[in-house]
Amino acid sequence: MSNLLSIGKTGLMAAQTGIATTGHNITNATVPGYSRQGIVQSTTPPIQQGVGYIGTGTEVAQIKRYYDNFLNTQLLNAQANQGSVDAYLGQISQIDNMLSDSTIGLSPALQDFFKGVQTANSTPSLQAARESMLSSSQTLTGRFHEVSGRLTELQNGVNSSISSTVNTINAYSTQIADLNTKIAAATADPLNPPNDLLDQRDQLIRELNQQVKVTVLPGDNNMLNVSIGSGQPLVVGVSSMELASTTSPTDPNRTVVAYQTPGRQSVLPDDTFSGGALGGLIAFRNETLDRVQNQVGQIAAGLADAFNDQHRLGQDLNGELGGDFFAPIKAYVGYDTRNSPLSTAKVEGIVTDASKLTTADYNVTFDGTNYNFERADGVAVTPSSVAPNTPTEIDGVTYNFTGDGQDGDRFQVRPTYQAAADITVAITDYKKIALAAPVSTSVPSSNKGNGTISAGVVDPSYVDTPLTAPVTIAFHQTDPADKNTRTIDGFPAGTTVTIKQPNGTENTYVDGDTIPYTEGATISFNGVSFVLAGAPKDGDTFTIGPNTSGVGDSRNGVLLAGLQTKNILNGGSATFQGGYASTVNYVGNKTREMQVGSASATTAVNQARASQQSVSGVNLDEEAADLLRYQQAYQAAGKVMQIAGQLFDTLLQIGN
Amino acid sequence: MTRISTSMMYERGASQLSTLQSNLLKTQLQLSTMRRVLTPADDPVASARALEVTQSLELNTQYATNRQTAASSLTQVDTTLQTIGDLLTDVKDTVLKAGNPGLSIADRETLAVDLEARMADLLGQANTADGTGGYLFSGYKTNTLPFVQTSTGANYQGDQGQRELQVGSGRKMAISASGSQIFENNITGNGTFLTKPQVPDPADPTDLPNVGTGIISPGSVSDATKLTGHNYTVTFAKDATTGKMQYSVTDDSDGSEKIPLTDYKAGEPIAFDGITFDIKGEPADTDKFTVEPSKNQSIFETVQNVINALRTAGTGPTAGAKLTNAMNEANQNVQNASDNVLSVLASVGARGKELDYLDDSGSEMNIQYKSQISDLVELDEIEAATRFSQQLSSLQAAQQTFKSATSLSLFNYL
Repeated sequence: MSNLLSIGKTGLMAAQTGIATTGHNITNATVPGYSRQGIVQSTTPPIQQGVGYIGTGTEVAQIKRYYDNFLNTQLLNAQANQGSVDAYLGQISQIDNMLSDSTIGLSPALQDFFKGVQTANSTPSLQAARESMLSSSQTLTGRFHEVSGRLTELQNGVNSSISSTVNTINAYSTQIADLNTKIAAATADPLNPPNDLLDQRDQLIRELNQQVKVTVLPGDNNMLNVSIGSGQPLVVGVSSMELASTTSPTDPNRTVVAYQTPGRQSVLPDDTFSGGALGGLIAFRNETLDRVQNQVGQIAAGLADAFNDQHRLGQDLNGELGGDFFAPIKAYVGYDTRNSPLSTAKVEGIVTDASKLTTADYNVTFDGTNYNFERADGVAVTPSSVAPNTPTEIDGVTYNFTGDGQDGDRFQVRPTYQAAADITVAITDYKKIALAAPVSTSVPSSNKGNGTISAGVVDPSYVDTPLTAPVTIAFHQTDPADKNTRTIDGFPAGTTVTIKQPNGTENTYVDGDTIPYTEGATISFNGVSFVLAGAPKDGDTFTIGPNTSGVGDSRNGVLLAGLQTKNILNGGSATFQGGYASTVNYVGNKTREMQVGSASATTAVNQARASQQSVSGVNLDEEAADLLRYQQAYQAAGKVMQIAGQLFDTLLQIGN
Repeated sequence: MTRISTSMMYERGASQLSTLQSNLLKTQLQLSTMRRVLTPADDPVASARALEVTQSLELNTQYATNRQTAASSLTQVDTTLQTIGDLLTDVKDTVLKAGNPGLSIADRETLAVDLEARMADLLGQANTADGTGGYLFSGYKTNTLPFVQTSTGANYQGDQGQRELQVGSGRKMAISASGSQIFENNITGNGTFLTKPQVPDPADPTDLPNVGTGIISPGSVSDATKLTGHNYTVTFAKDATTGKMQYSVTDDSDGSEKIPLTDYKAGEPIAFDGITFDIKGEPADTDKFTVEPSKNQSIFETVQNVINALRTAGTGPTAGAKLTNAMNEANQNVQNASDNVLSVLASVGARGKELDYLDDSGSEMNIQYKSQISDLVELDEIEAATRFSQQLSSLQAAQQTFKSATSLSLFNYL
C-alpha cells in the first residue's frame, strides 16, 4: 500500500521534473547557444518480495543535455571561416567602392594632368597655358593624397578594429576561465553536469571563435582549454592569458597583437591568427591594403621619377635647364624599436629608376659589415647587400646608409608605401616648366649645297656638359666626284664624337681623328645628337647651339606628354594607366573572391547550424507534445495515488 | 536530417528573404545607373579594360583638340603666304616697269618709292603675330621679332626651329614655317648659276664698273654633267691690231682659260663647262661679266637691291645697260622668291589635308572606343528588367510562404 503510494509519488515527481524541463526548454527556446534538455527516467531498484521482484517506481536518472561535440566543432570551424571572410569583405568593399567612384579615382586625374601638358605644348610661351599645366599637376597630386588618405583611414580603421577585437577576446577569455571555475566546482557527478553553465561556456567559446579561430581541448574536471593559432594558449583551466594590441616595432602607425606577460609584451607573428574577424582583418591588411597602398605608391613614384628625368633634359622660359618637376620620392624606412640604443644608423632611400620599382617591402639587417636586403615575399634581391656610406641602387631606389650601425640592427624599408601621400609638385613658378629642348640647330643661307640637320636631341649626359655657345660643324669634300673624301669637323676640343650609322654600327672619334661623313648617320657629342642628311657641298657648315630665347619650342613638352603612353613601370611593361588598371583588377578580383567566399561560408554555416540544431535545437511543437505527455503522466500518477488512498480508506473502513 | 528546431525555421526564412532583397536592390541599382559594372568586383577584367580604353578615348579627343590648334595656325600661315605671294607679284610688275629704258629719273624715283612701300608691306607680313602674343615666323623664338630692316635688306632674328604639335598617336606636325625658310632661301639666277656684270672690287682703285652697253642673258644649263660650280669671268678686250672687240672666259678657281680670246658677236652663244649664255649690245674694252653658282638670297636684299639700282641709275646708255642688267637679275630672283613661297604654300596645304584625314579617322576611333566601353560596362536593359521582375516575384512568393510556414504551431490547438 505504502508502496503504491510511493510508486505514485515517484511518478508524480518524475512528471513534475519533466514538465519543469519542458517548460525550461520552451522558455529558453530563443536563447542563443541553448541546448535542449530532457529527462531520462529509469526504474528504481525493485524489491525482492518472495514471488519475484516488484518494481518500486521511477526516478529521473539524468537531465540529459542534447549536445553533439562533433557537430558543434563543425559549426565552430564554419563560423570562424565566415567571421574571417566577412571581416575581409567588409574592409575590401570599401576599397572596391572607392575605386568605382569616378570622382575620387586616379584615372581621370592622370588623364587631366597629361591634358594639361598637351595644352601647354600648344602655346608654350603663354603664361596662362603654363599656369593651367601647373594647376592640373596640383590636382593630380591632390588626388594621390586623397586616395592615399582614404587608404590610411582604412589602415586606422583596421588598427582600431584590431584593438577592440583584442579587448573583446580578452573579455571572453576571462569569462570562459571564470565559467571553467564554476563548472569544475559544480560538477560533482560527471553524469549530471551543470547543463546551463555548459551552454553558457559553449556560447562564449562560439562568440570568441568568431573573433579569432580557437581550438578547444578538454581539460580535467570538465574544464575546457582554449588555444589560438598553432597552439598559443588563451584559457588554461581557471586562468586566462591576456592579449594586448600594441604598435609595431617598425611602424608606429600599425597595430599588432602581442601576448601580455607581466613586464613585457611579445609580439605575435601575423600568421598566428587565421580565421575569425581578427584573422580576416590581419589578412586583409597584409594581402590587400598594404599591397594596394604600395601599388598606388608605385604609380606616384614612377610618375614623379620618369617625369623628372625627362623634365631635367628640357629648358625653361629663363633659358635654364629644367630641374625637378616633382619633389623626389623617398622610401619609407622604419627603424625597429628593438634596435640597440647605441645604433646611430641612418637610412635614406630615394627613387631613381621608375622602371625597376617593385611593390614589395624589404627587411634589412646589419651584420656588422654590410646591410643585407631581403624581400618580404621571398623573391631574390640583387644586389642584396650594401656597404655603409656607399649609395647603391636596389630595385629602382638608391640607398645610402650613414652613421654607425650595430650588429643585429633591423629596418623595414617600404619604397612606395608613402609615395602617394608624399608626391608634391616642386615648381610654383610657371617660368620654370621646361617645355623647350635645350639645343637648336640651323643651316646658314650661305650654304651652297642642300644639306639638312635635324632639330637636335639631348640625353641625360648633356646635363654635365651643356652647350654654352654655338658649335659650327663644317663639311668638307676634297674631290666632288668621290664620296669617300667627305669629312666633317668643328667639334669642341677634347670631346668624343660618336657616329651611329643607319645600319647600326657605331664608331667613336677623339681629338685629331678624321671623321668621315655618312648621310643619315646619327652624330653625338657631349650628350647632343643630330642627323645630317641631304647633299652638302664642300665648305658648307651646320650650327648646333643653345636654344636661346626659344620660348615657342615645345619639343621637351611633347616628350613629357608622351610619357602617358610609354611603358615605364615594371621593367617597361606597363603604362601608368595600365598599372592603375591592374590594381583595380586585383581589388575587383579579391572582392569577388571574398563575395563568393562569404556566400559559401554562409551556406556552410547554415548547414552546420542546421545539423547542430537538429540535435540541440528546441522545436516548440515537440515541446507542446511533451507538455501534454507529462501532464497526462502527472494525472495518471496522481490517479495512482488517489487509488492508493482509496485502498487505504477501504482498509480503515474494515475496522468500523 | 529529420528534425528541425523552431529557431532554424525562422532563421532560414529570414536569411533567404534578406538574400532575395539584396539581389533585388542590386538589380535596381543597375537599372537606375544603367551600368552593369557598379564596382570593380562585379567584373574585374572589364573594369580594368574599360579604364585603358577610356585613356585611349581621352587621348583621341586631345589629339582632335591639337589638330584644331594646328589647323588654325596653318590657316593663318596660308593666308599670310597668299598675301606675300600677291606682294611679290606686285614687286615683279614694278621690276618689269623699271626695265623700260624710256623712264625719266623722276619716274624711276616713283617706282623706287613704290618698292619701298612694298618692302614695308613684306616686312609687315614677315612679322605677323600669331594671335597668342608671339610671332608666326620666328621658329622657336616666338617672342623675338623675326625681321629687322637694315640698309641692305633685313636681318633675321629668329631661328630655324619647327614648332610641332602631336596631332595623332605617333604623328607630330609642324604648325608653321620659319622666316628663314620663306624669305631667305630664295635661289639666285636661273637656279644653277647667276650671270651679272662684274661688281668692282672696292679695294682696287683700278677696278672700274663696266662702261660699255653689254647686256648679259640669264643663260641655261646645256649639259648638267659638265657643271663644275666654279666662278667664271668673261673679260672683253679690244684687239689692238684688228680693232675688233674680243672676249675670253677664265675659270676663277684655277685661272685656266675656258675660252681663249675670241671675236665678240652680239647675241652669239658663249658655251663652256655645260653652261651657255649670250651677251648683246656693245661692251667696252676691259668690261667684265661674272658667272657664279646660284646661292641663297633674302627677298629683302633682292628688293633693296632693286631700290638701290633705281636710285643710283643715271642717264645715258652705260647707265641704261647697268640698270637693265640689274633688272634682269632682280627679275629672276623675284621669280625664284615667288616660287619658294608657292612651294611653302603647297606644303602647308598638304599638311592641312592630312589634318582632315586624321580628323576623319579620329572620329571613327572615337565611335569605336565609345562602343567598346559600352560593351564592357554598360547595362543590357532588357535582360536587367526581366531579371528585376523575376526577382520581385520570387521575393513576394518567399514573403508569403514564410508567413504561412511560421504560423503553424501546435500551441494554436491546445
